[in-house]
Amino acid sequence: MLDAKHGGATVASVRDLKVHFQSKRGVVHAVDGVSFDIRDGETLGLVGETGCGKSVTGRSFLRLLPVPPGILAGGSVMFSAHEVCTGCEGTGCETCEGTGRKAGQDRSVNLLGIPSEDMRRIRGDRIAMIFQDPGKALNPTLPVGAQIAEVFLQHRTDELIALAGLPADTVGAVRRFASQSPRLGDGWLLSLPGARAQRRRVEEALATMVAGALAETQVPNPAKLMARYPHELSGGMRQRVMIAQALACNPDLLIADEPTTALDVTVEARILELIRNLQQRRKTSVLYISHDLSLVRRISDRVAVMYAGRIVEIGTTTEVFANPRHPYTRGLMAAVPGADTPRGRLAAIRGTVPELVDPPAACRFCGRCPYETSACRNNDPFLEAITPSHLVACFIDHPAPSGERPNYGRVTA
Amino acid sequence: MRAAAEPQADDLILSIREVKKHYPIREGALQRVVGHVRAVDGVSFDIRRGETVGLVGESGCGKTTLGRVIAALADPTEGGVHYNMDGMMSRIDRLEGKAARAFRRNCQMVFQDSFASLNPRHLVIDLVGRPLKVYNEATSANLIERVVELLEQVGLGRQHLYRYPHQFSGGQRQRISIARALALNPEVIVLDEPTSALDVSVQAQILNLLNDLQKERNLAYLFVTHDLSVVRHMADRLVVMYLGKVAEAGETQAIFDSPHHPYTRELMAAKPDLEADANVEVRGLEGNVPDPARPPRGCRFHTRCELATPACGWEVDDVVRWLEDAPGMFEHLVGVERQTDFAARLAFDSEEAAGLLSMAVRSEQVPEAMRAAMRRLNLDGDKVEIEFEDVGEIGLTARDDGRMAACVLSPEEVASWKRT
Ligand SMILES: Nc1ncnc2c1ncn2[C@@H]1O[C@H](COP(=O)(O)OP(=O)(O)OP(=O)(O)O)[C@@H](O)[C@H]1O
Ligand SMILES: Nc1ncnc2c1ncn2[C@@H]1O[C@H](COP(=O)(O)OP(=O)(O)OP(=O)(O)O)[C@@H](O)[C@H]1O
Ligand code: SF4
Ligand code: SF4
Ligand SMILES: [Mg+2]
Ligand SMILES: [Mg+2]
Ligand SMILES: [Zn+2]
Repeated sequence: MLDAKHGGATVASVRDLKVHFQSKRGVVHAVDGVSFDIRDGETLGLVGETGCGKSVTGRSFLRLLPVPPGILAGGSVMFSAHEVCTGCEGTGCETCEGTGRKAGQDRSVNLLGIPSEDMRRIRGDRIAMIFQDPGKALNPTLPVGAQIAEVFLQHRTDELIALAGLPADTVGAVRRFASQSPRLGDGWLLSLPGARAQRRRVEEALATMVAGALAETQVPNPAKLMARYPHELSGGMRQRVMIAQALACNPDLLIADEPTTALDVTVEARILELIRNLQQRRKTSVLYISHDLSLVRRISDRVAVMYAGRIVEIGTTTEVFANPRHPYTRGLMAAVPGADTPRGRLAAIRGTVPELVDPPAACRFCGRCPYETSACRNNDPFLEAITPSHLVACFIDHPAPSGERPNYGRVTA
Repeated sequence: MRAAAEPQADDLILSIREVKKHYPIREGALQRVVGHVRAVDGVSFDIRRGETVGLVGESGCGKTTLGRVIAALADPTEGGVHYNMDGMMSRIDRLEGKAARAFRRNCQMVFQDSFASLNPRHLVIDLVGRPLKVYNEATSANLIERVVELLEQVGLGRQHLYRYPHQFSGGQRQRISIARALALNPEVIVLDEPTSALDVSVQAQILNLLNDLQKERNLAYLFVTHDLSVVRHMADRLVVMYLGKVAEAGETQAIFDSPHHPYTRELMAAKPDLEADANVEVRGLEGNVPDPARPPRGCRFHTRCELATPACGWEVDDVVRWLEDAPGMFEHLVGVERQTDFAARLAFDSEEAAGLLSMAVRSEQVPEAMRAAMRRLNLDGDKVEIEFEDVGEIGLTARDDGRMAACVLSPEEVASWKRT
């Protein structure tokens, strides 16, 4: 195991994940050997330079990569859906060794290897994703209400039927219907089997659930908003529609890719609360991708820092923020605008990310790192532990094979 | 901030005058217009050469809409944007021919959603190079070099020339939009959340770049963002919007030091910075954002303001809103007969429900200020007659040092308030 465990089961393990892109100039190693675990109920923050591969990593969980030009070049993403321990209902007891999960054989699957039919079932049900670009994720030709309704129809059918006051045996029919009609448009319910009155009840129940889900994200006037098309909403409203959609299905794992970047702080606080509620209710784990360091610090249990397709530092939130070891992590933290930073004088990290075409066996931060030595240019550092939970990929903490060791005190020009 | 009716042309570059933008809401099979979203509802401020004006406010308050009107990408419903054309202030929607062309070239916009704003079928070289070609700023011979130069300014390079937008990460796309906006050497750029997709280090590069360009070329920016630490760093002056209107405007530092509007204070209190204690609970504003199709009367913030006074515009809708939130009450309301926005008769399906409401609005269940604003409350069988103080709109008032704020309270009263 890469990360030390503090009790609790692991919902997902990424091992040596490699995603490459074919380009005219050669193969771009966008994600190049990434490994980490996500435990039940935890929030893992993922931060790093623009273009370093955070979204690609997140999308790999759902196999939402454009292939080609994308190439899954290796590694695995093991996922094990929640199966709650019957002894303790998930709170943790002796039978399950405190994990809250059903003991017994390992039911995990490799998300990168399962048939697409199984993937479709997991997507949006056990694993949900909030995308960075709401413009890309929402269907422009459907009112937003219908897009959320789709999720309820497919994944919360029991609740829907109960709310509509219909007999439990209708569940099958509704679910079958929902899975057969991939896109719901106006009047979709007319084709639903059953009496007209029943249809109306389902429709009403569905509207109530959708409005409720939207209201939770604090959009004004959810009942009216449902009928609007994505382009009629503000950026932040679109983002919240997507959040409502993702949270609606009660996932075991939520991949949140910059979920609140278009939102102001007060709405952001509300969204974070919704996610926290979901975590308490369902022990949902969250992979939270963001570049807002103060936010990541507040909400994450652990933090992973990515640079140029690799994780360069990972640890508990306190470890990473109180004692950042990797020079890139230190650079990031110094770049946050403070109250008294003079205009134009933000401490940007000099230079730009290297192009990841056939990267050499060297530290990828070379050329931008203030502490770089020749050892860094000739060896590739990998993640090594400095405490049981804190891992860093830099020769400052783990000398290069030659024994050479850069240090923070010696700044190279 | 100038209050003068006629915008003067000296260092002024843009003058936004009473701009309104309303979107029709259509319903039913016939798509009849049933109301209007008042996305921007009477906003005025100036932008001068070489300065950065920050525009902040809650999601959906109208920032992007206003930005689009300013960049002439949408026509205002009322009011107008005036542009300083060789010393003359002219309304941008009345410019023609050469003048219109000059404005379009001198005022650029960087969009919030970089994915939606970059044509997916165009290569980067075309996206950034097209404006150069259209305005004959580059010959085909040196086009590539110019584009590379622009890309390098935003931290991208030659290797990105022949890629499509979807081949980039979110932050890289945003940098392409910025490069494109810079291509024609504009006088003013509307930046709609330009760095919210960027990590802090790249954000620092872009913000430093924007500052350098501003100094070099005397550029003006309208910087739309919800990130207060960025706006504090970047903006000379700040405009705080709430629900389509300006709540407060003035010098950035002065506003951060002492907000004159309770909404501004709430905004600033909600954001901790990196140095702040990680365990401090961030508290958002209470209550829902009101429907912009029916904005509250008086002060638009009164439905959520903890400091609200009886003079802040309490109205019939506040009672309806209360009923909507009270469990099990709204179903009993069968009709609202309005005389004005401030007086109405509410009809219920039972005397009991009417009685419950008339008791509730006299009790702690509603804000004290709302109770104090009530002029009349009559229980008449299954009907409740209710009337509030008739209050006009609480508009911006000028304070010291060019500060404007739309609140009945004095700065001292706002400052001395301790949150409960
Ligand atoms: N379809 C694609 N074709 C080619 N390259 C791609 C494609 N999608 C992504 N990439 C490249 O993969 C790298 C990683 O992209 P990714 O979207 O994961 O970055 P990110 O860390 O999420 O960045 P940001 O913070 O800007 O969102 C980038 O350098 C990008 O150019
Ligand atoms: N094309 C349109 N048709 C109808 N309503 C619209 C349209 N565009 C925007 N609106 C509405 O106008 C209001 C203001 O939207 P705007 O995009 O200006 O908000 P914003 O302040 O930029 O918010 P955000 O911070 O979320 O981007 C919202 O209520 C939105 O739903
Ligand atoms: S290995 Fe060398 S170049 Fe890489 S981060 Fe550490 S000191 Fe810098
Ligand atoms: S006028 Fe001032 S005190 Fe009254 S509601 Fe508005 S912000 Fe609050
Ligand atoms: Mg991304
Ligand atoms: Mg916007
Ligand atoms: Zn158990």
